[in-house]
Amino acid sequence: METSIIYNWSQFTAEFTLVGLASIILMADCFLKKMPKSYYALLGAAGAIVAACFMHNDEYHNQFSVIAAVATGLTLLLAYDYRKVTCEAVSGTDSEEGSSELYALPLIACAGICALTQAKDIIMLFVSLEVVTLSSYVLAGYFRRNQGSIEAGVKYLILGAMSTGLLVFGAAWYYGTTGTFELSAQVVQLMFFVAEPAMGVGFFLGLGLLLCGALFKAGSAPMHIWIPDVYQGAPTPVSAFLAVASKAAGFAVLCLLILPFTAVLTAQSDIATVEYVQSCTLTIVQCLAVLTGITLLIGNLGAIGQTNAKRLLGYSSIGQAGFIMVFLVNMTDTESQLHIANYLTAYMLATMAAFYAIAMVRTQRGSEEISAFRALGKTNPTTAFLITVAFASLAGVPLTYGFIAKFESFCAIIAAMQSWGMLLWLTPLLVIMILCATAGFYYYFKVIREMYWEKPQPTDAPLQVPVVTAGVLAGCAILLVVLGTWPLLTGNL
Amino acid sequence: MIQNLPWLFLLLPLAVAAIDWLFFKKCACCAAALSILSALGTFGLCIAYLTGLCTGTPDVYTWMPIATEGMPSLSLGLLMDPLAMRMMLVVTGIGLLVHIFSLGYMKGDTSNHSRYFAGLSIFMFSMTMIVLADNLAMTFIGWEMVGFSSYLLIGHWFNKESAADAAKKAFITNRVGDFGFLIGILLTMGVFGTLSFSEMGTGTEAIPTAVLTATVLCLFCGAIGKSAQFPLHVWLPDAMEGPTPVSALIHAATMVAAGVYMMVRLQVSMGEGAFTETACLVIAGVGAITAVLAALMAVQQDDIKRVLAYSTLSQLGYMIMAVGLLAGEAAMFHLYTHAWFKALLFLGAGAIIVRCHHEQDIWKMGGLGNRMPITTVCFLMGTFALIAIPGFSGFFSKELILDAALEKCPFFFWVGAGVAALTTFYMARLCIITFCGSARAHGAEHAKDGGFTMSMPLLLLAVMAVISGFGFVADYLVPFEGFHAHGFELGLPFYVSMGALVVGLLLAFVIYGCGKRSKDPLSGNFISKSLRERLYIDKFYDKGIIGILQECGARTIEFADSAIIRGLFAQGAAWFTGKIGMLLSWIQGGSLRAYSLIIGIGVIFVIFLLAYTFPSL
Repeated sequence: METSIIYNWSQFTAEFTLVGLASIILMADCFLKKMPKSYYALLGAAGAIVAACFMHNDEYHNQFSVIAAVATGLTLLLAYDYRKVTCEAVSGTDSEEGSSELYALPLIACAGICALTQAKDIIMLFVSLEVVTLSSYVLAGYFRRNQGSIEAGVKYLILGAMSTGLLVFGAAWYYGTTGTFELSAQVVQLMFFVAEPAMGVGFFLGLGLLLCGALFKAGSAPMHIWIPDVYQGAPTPVSAFLAVASKAAGFAVLCLLILPFTAVLTAQSDIATVEYVQSCTLTIVQCLAVLTGITLLIGNLGAIGQTNAKRLLGYSSIGQAGFIMVFLVNMTDTESQLHIANYLTAYMLATMAAFYAIAMVRTQRGSEEISAFRALGKTNPTTAFLITVAFASLAGVPLTYGFIAKFESFCAIIAAMQSWGMLLWLTPLLVIMILCATAGFYYYFKVIREMYWEKPQPTDAPLQVPVVTAGVLAGCAILLVVLGTWPLLTGNL
Repeated sequence: MIQNLPWLFLLLPLAVAAIDWLFFKKCACCAAALSILSALGTFGLCIAYLTGLCTGTPDVYTWMPIATEGMPSLSLGLLMDPLAMRMMLVVTGIGLLVHIFSLGYMKGDTSNHSRYFAGLSIFMFSMTMIVLADNLAMTFIGWEMVGFSSYLLIGHWFNKESAADAAKKAFITNRVGDFGFLIGILLTMGVFGTLSFSEMGTGTEAIPTAVLTATVLCLFCGAIGKSAQFPLHVWLPDAMEGPTPVSALIHAATMVAAGVYMMVRLQVSMGEGAFTETACLVIAGVGAITAVLAALMAVQQDDIKRVLAYSTLSQLGYMIMAVGLLAGEAAMFHLYTHAWFKALLFLGAGAIIVRCHHEQDIWKMGGLGNRMPITTVCFLMGTFALIAIPGFSGFFSKELILDAALEKCPFFFWVGAGVAALTTFYMARLCIITFCGSARAHGAEHAKDGGFTMSMPLLLLAVMAVISGFGFVADYLVPFEGFHAHGFELGLPFYVSMGALVVGLLLAFVIYGCGKRSKDPLSGNFISKSLRERLYIDKFYDKGIIGILQECGARTIEFADSAIIRGLFAQGAAWFTGKIGMLLSWIQGGSLRAYSLIIGIGVIFVIFLLAYTFPSL
């Protein structure tokens, strides 16, 4: 089969800009010795936000690139507030020497994600995904004087390499059975209606391997295993980046893989072909449903016993990924990409706020344990309230955006039950979702409980909230509440 | 755009309430000024629409679209028919006067005035919502909102325990009625297929009588709660713990009349056919029982506001009775005249209370006639209207109700006449003790008339109490479509009500003389005691129902809490998930080789799910 995919240079303007900005930062690091390195973080953040605005209005990029760019911007701002810890962990002194790559690499990774969302074939997908992954390896192990960070980097490298291998292997199977790298409804159509039946098994084998590669980025079972260790060990801004931007990349790949099937499903007109295509795609839905259930259970049950806030967020990111995958289980929904983007937005706002809080507590109280949040409700009432909003949104408390997102997720599973006519088959997944949403209240509220119900220790001084952190926390909390309340007022849930 | 002007009726007070609450917490003058301006604005707007200066129907805004076939979407719309607009005149007119009176009344009070005026504004918003609602869902929202604002205002002096308790009692008692109301709304939705008043009238004949009766009676539950009818009347007398202007506005003129308004609105839009015989009998019966019981209890009250509160109850009973007799126009006529003269009586009582240093016991007043002439004259005007002396507004409306009762069911006519005699008796008693004779306590000795902000509303209301019953006013203002005051005719009702008036007056003057007595000659016996104790109904609710419910409820909940929730769910689930968590953290042990193994197994699992269970293409 002939491939006819053409990419324009012009559609990669934003990506080139981001990479260019990263190069400028690296050059400036070499030649402008007197410039404080942390300014690069601000410069990079500004660039990422501008790129996000630009991509929001252009026709090539979808919502995932905007989310990734905003997340990158927030990551860099967080890195700015985190510079003190960075300096200690990189150079062992107060000197900022050698810390500027931390501000440049997220931009390159972001460019990779943005290119990824435009991919129409596996080659483009693979190359851009590797841009993200390679930058992330360096970032995860960036604190070279910190053993946890190095361990995280190594683990991420080895497991990531495995997943890359699986991806390439899957690509080979894909090419072998279809004769093309193109990811489109056309290929699926040909596969279902024209190709030799025996090819189907090979095609689905390839698809399974490709899915594994994507699930690794998205942090879903069975490829979730790296997440808790890496999130806990990596520098906090990097954890935030992995939790949001990298996860968005994973779901972008999942969408690229699954949406062609949705297109074929919804394009059929007569009953015979509809039933035929449904029977072909049923295995994908079943597979996704099983994986979603496992992901939800692992993420939410694993989070219950955690005492480290970053590790908690790691498990939380697995659990939330489960809720997002539900949209893909509802495979007949042509708008699932939009729903995923909505959920990711809610997740990004809350998770970023949570990481900012962790970074602030780590900088001033020297600990990333949940117990370090003790009595913030007394010492810093406003900040404690903003953090509460973020965690409440993660748990899905009504009047926050997280509730709307979870609500949509439940709507999706019910729609899937209806459209596939297999109520019994998907009911366990629904039950698991309900249980996991409940469990979420338990472990997210551990932080809130720590802030309001614990007594302060005599040595605890009120935290000095840095300007950037205060702004981001307030912005995230306000957005979460406004976006969570607005649909209730207008009734357009 | 211009046709959407009526939305200001709702938005203006709501915005003012929000601004008062959020920004003018410290600046009571600004809050008061804003609230008064908003009341003035809505009053002006109301006049403009009544006189035809402004016209047009406002847009309907779909609030919650419901896609399902046959289900009505929830919409927000304003129904601007004469019934609603004339009711609005009563609400905004009395509202405005009460706002102004409050300035004088609250002067010198140390509580937060911004809170008070914000409460008044939010009440105006909620009441407008009820009056202008074009569907039952919106009515219900307003219904709950007035309950909330009434809660705020009754409990305005929340430091006083009795006020806080009264607020709670009012709120909870209303919940009981609202529960029935909500069921009624759902029934309406099911039976009529719509909640909109304008679409309800069709297809009543096809509905079984029993279903119609149930629907109407469930909706009537709402009116029982809000209009304080027997057996949910207990909250209204306690609500007198609130500031007196609030009692005048909410617990006499407008909010408590909302039940009557709602029932008449239903009668108009569903058609009288929807009110089946059984339903009518129940409604009229409840009204009559309330009228009699409340009038009896009023006879032995010593607190000036409580006498008025029971009198309000009794008059509301009258109105509900008229609704049950399918005489909506009589009910609305009485609602309208009652609103003016009862507001007048309450504001008059408020003026007296303030000037007697917050003394409410009539046995500690006396001889106020000489010292507070303006207040006394106004109060007497209100009393004359209430006891239906010919020529005063209350006479015309009461006559209309008695006429209707005689025509439909003579039993209710005689009940009405008896209540009229009782009304005359207790109001005469109140006036004699308060205004005649000499002061019985120190506070009453130096009382004098209030200032302009207090006298002006009294005088205006007194004028309305006198003239509002005559045809030249009533024909234009009574909130009922096509209302014509037909004056009274000499006949049985007239003679009977005159008889009741004379009997009541004579008895009062014989028993209480000219106000020289210092204690009630009727007190001390068993009947007086039980009347004072409100026929033990409140006690029965407290000890009997609430006590038993709480005891049983507490035991059940305690069991559920300790055995089921704590034992089974909390600890059981915690143990179980804890074990799973341990298993997971054992897997997550940190060994890279184990991780790789898990990934490998996972990949094989995915491929198994996808490719091995794959149906042959």
